[in-house]
Amino acid sequence: MTGSFLLGFLILFPFVAAFIAWAIPSHGLRGAWVWITAAAMAIASIVFLLVTKGAYAPDLPNSESAGILIGILDLLLLLFFLYVGIRAKSWVITILTLVQLFPFVWLEWMSGRHPAVSPTFIADPLAIIMVLVISIVGSVICIYATRYMVEHEEHLHLGKSRQRRFMFYMILFLGAMNGLVLSNNLLWIYFFWEVTTFVCYQLILHDLTPIAVTNAQRALWMNLIGGVAFVAALIIADVSFETLSLRTIATEHPRELAILFPVFLLALAGFAKAAQVPFHGWLLGAMVAPTPVSALLHSSTMVKAGAYLVLRLAPAFHATPFSIVVAVFGGFVLLMTAVMALGQSNAKKVLAYSTIGNLGLIILCAGINTPLAISAGIILVIFHAISKAILFMTVGAIENRIGSRDIEDMEGLCNVAPMLTGVLVIGVLSMIAPPFGVLIGKWAALEAGTGVMSRWSFVVILLLALGSSVTVVFWLKWLARVLCAVPETETCKPTPLPAAYNVSLWGMVFLLCILSAVAAPLVTGLVVPAVDSWYNAKTSIGMTTNWGLTLDNGFVPILYFVVIGLVFLVAPALTIRVQRERVKPVYMCGENIEYKTSWHGLADGTFDLAVGGSYFSRDIGEEKLNMWAIYLGLGALVFALAMTLMMFQI
Amino acid sequence: MGIGMTMAVAVATLVLAPIVAGVLNGIDRRFTARLQGRVGPPLAQPFYDVIKLLGKELIVVNRLQLIWAWGFFGFAAASLVLLILGGDLLVVVFSVGFAAVCLALGALSVKSPYSYLGGIRELWQMLSYEPILLASVVGIYLAKGSFLVDVILKDSWPLIAQLPLVFIALLLVLTIKMRKSPFDISTSHHAHQEIVKGVTTEYSGPYLALIELGHWYELMFMLTLIALFWANPIWIGILIALICFLLEMIVDVTWARMTWRWMLRVSLAVGLALVGVNLAILTFFNG
Repeated sequence: MTGSFLLGFLILFPFVAAFIAWAIPSHGLRGAWVWITAAAMAIASIVFLLVTKGAYAPDLPNSESAGILIGILDLLLLLFFLYVGIRAKSWVITILTLVQLFPFVWLEWMSGRHPAVSPTFIADPLAIIMVLVISIVGSVICIYATRYMVEHEEHLHLGKSRQRRFMFYMILFLGAMNGLVLSNNLLWIYFFWEVTTFVCYQLILHDLTPIAVTNAQRALWMNLIGGVAFVAALIIADVSFETLSLRTIATEHPRELAILFPVFLLALAGFAKAAQVPFHGWLLGAMVAPTPVSALLHSSTMVKAGAYLVLRLAPAFHATPFSIVVAVFGGFVLLMTAVMALGQSNAKKVLAYSTIGNLGLIILCAGINTPLAISAGIILVIFHAISKAILFMTVGAIENRIGSRDIEDMEGLCNVAPMLTGVLVIGVLSMIAPPFGVLIGKWAALEAGTGVMSRWSFVVILLLALGSSVTVVFWLKWLARVLCAVPETETCKPTPLPAAYNVSLWGMVFLLCILSAVAAPLVTGLVVPAVDSWYNAKTSIGMTTNWGLTLDNGFVPILYFVVIGLVFLVAPALTIRVQRERVKPVYMCGENIEYKTSWHGLADGTFDLAVGGSYFSRDIGEEKLNMWAIYLGLGALVFALAMTLMMFQI
Repeated sequence: MGIGMTMAVAVATLVLAPIVAGVLNGIDRRFTARLQGRVGPPLAQPFYDVIKLLGKELIVVNRLQLIWAWGFFGFAAASLVLLILGGDLLVVVFSVGFAAVCLALGALSVKSPYSYLGGIRELWQMLSYEPILLASVVGIYLAKGSFLVDVILKDSWPLIAQLPLVFIALLLVLTIKMRKSPFDISTSHHAHQEIVKGVTTEYSGPYLALIELGHWYELMFMLTLIALFWANPIWIGILIALICFLLEMIVDVTWARMTWRWMLRVSLAVGLALVGVNLAILTFFNG
């Protein structure tokens, strides 16, 4: 009983809360309401986990009428997209909407087909993990947004505040995401999918600048491509297999050629949603939106929905040639976006490329398709969401502080904003360093790469090794600019951060550290059962023995990293004090001028030191590589489709 | 291994490894000098240098670089101990990789031109050898069925027979890690006018000694990894490692320092390709 109440709460309460947030005129009261909503969602999701223990698959009693309502709402959404397309005179949007609209209307009302989908909802461990990520990370980002939007509108000198509209969409989005991951009926998933597209569109154009409107439209049509694929998959699944249940399609027809068509189309929708190459353009363009949007939609949750769908579908193409192609595709995206991030000096674009790359990594895991690999993918979903949320929120706060999101303007940030720099360093290190979760996921993926049942696994391994090495370079290149500090002649007094920032940033850091430290119980408690329930087999994910969390010889790698890190990094950070008389200026091969980074040079003139980052725009700049990325990505997808069509044995 | 034995081995490694590394470095400098027609310093010179540095006054640019120096030292030493204790190779590679990250960050945490250039070049060095190291370790798994050093040590069939191309690629990694020409790009044993001392420019006195010790642990780590390629009996592996060390000295003397672009191209196009071919052979015939 409580389970179904909580499930309904998690999906429907955000819709109600969003309207309430929109209705409240006062900023302060609305902020308080957002805090309440956030707390309610977070607590509800945790209680949901404890109550259902990951084994809850209820049938909604009047799912027929709910289905009709959802159908009508879906139709309204599609009509809205049509209106957008016509109003903007964008034939791409109009055509893509029409291509969805007519088949959808046929399927929903004219085909006379109404396969019963049972169960209506599935709250298995993977769904609960997604719900936790959405409800906890998403709520924290909403809290962050309350403060961020105030500063944002100050900077824009906005006369009439538009925060009501902003918070409305942000909160509504949480409900849509929860509905997406908890539903088993593909029609309902499609509805929530299109709601997220709708919210994404509305939030990207929030600032109403010309570039925001353009990029919102681009996001719309690229996501609509996914929508078209989705509807096509729905029809094929219904006509060929008489089912619209995701679980049936994913698990009950493994390796059948016919099932691979809807699976490929659904995966394509997932790729579009996850902004995989060649669809990456919309995510890059979406970075013009206010930062909470980037944090919530475009790194932690919405784009994860795409990767989540591919993970869900993995059992269907297990041990087919299509599987290894998906893995290679994911690896290619990882490498391509990592190289493109090397050439970026816009901080949010670096984060966007990194997000796409990590989603590619999750898709690579889905392609490797062993229990260990799927576990690695799920681990990455959890920890990447937290790390990226931290990074986006920090970059947003930095942008409000220094007025720029360019990495070159962040030079010496540790002297200007030490607290934010500290969080940024932790955030970046959490993406590349042990014992944080993202590296644990990469480690698991690398180990899983050895277990692939394909002769082409070495390609996956090479792409993974190369891709993850390139990511280290661009992250450290960024840190290099941030930490580029002049000698300390005065201690920098950190300015206190606003409460909303403190709670969201440090709260997320705390959560990250706790979860990384308890990764072992997290894996055994949540991730392994998630894999088990979809592979219908009791798996012991062998990584060395017990996922390496405790090795055969009793060694615990995470503990090792934590201890060494504490002794040799945290302890020195807390205890080393440098006396002022020991501080000397840097060596510049000249006659230093006191403690400044200047020296006396030619003709006793004063020369200032200038340090700059390297971005190689001529070689790997976005303009240069983008075309390559699109062609290679399209080529990969066509190849994947060919694999599906021919069941070609490679 | 009981806990007592483990502790004993760990402590022995921590104490003996720098001594062995110091002796090897002394031989390196003497031998290199003789190849260049010089007399060269006494064999114990590296020890004299470290002891001298430890006794110097502490001069610092900022706190942050000191913290990273400790991180580099700690992770380098810990990685070696982990390897000797028979740990998981993938964990060990990530550990030593993080040590390199700390070194690069230490160089990049000061606004100094030479240090910054050295740090950025250190990043390119990492990009050059990390993929090879990661892929090689996976290759070891494919050959032996385990990441654990214990298992590798017990197998009678030497790794080098199954992974000859990986071995050659690892020699490339050794050259980069030992900072020998042609890959002494971010810093080296000899001062370079172009970037002064690169990553270690802004370190002096005790902290320079700390970094030097970290480098020694890294050197022993690489040599141990190479010795693993003939693990049974291990003395052959050690001999191979020493021969490779000798080869490195000869290469260092005969090659000039190249550019980081060249290093990147050679490492990835040649080194990674060698590993790729070796892995392909293993997976094609097993899978």
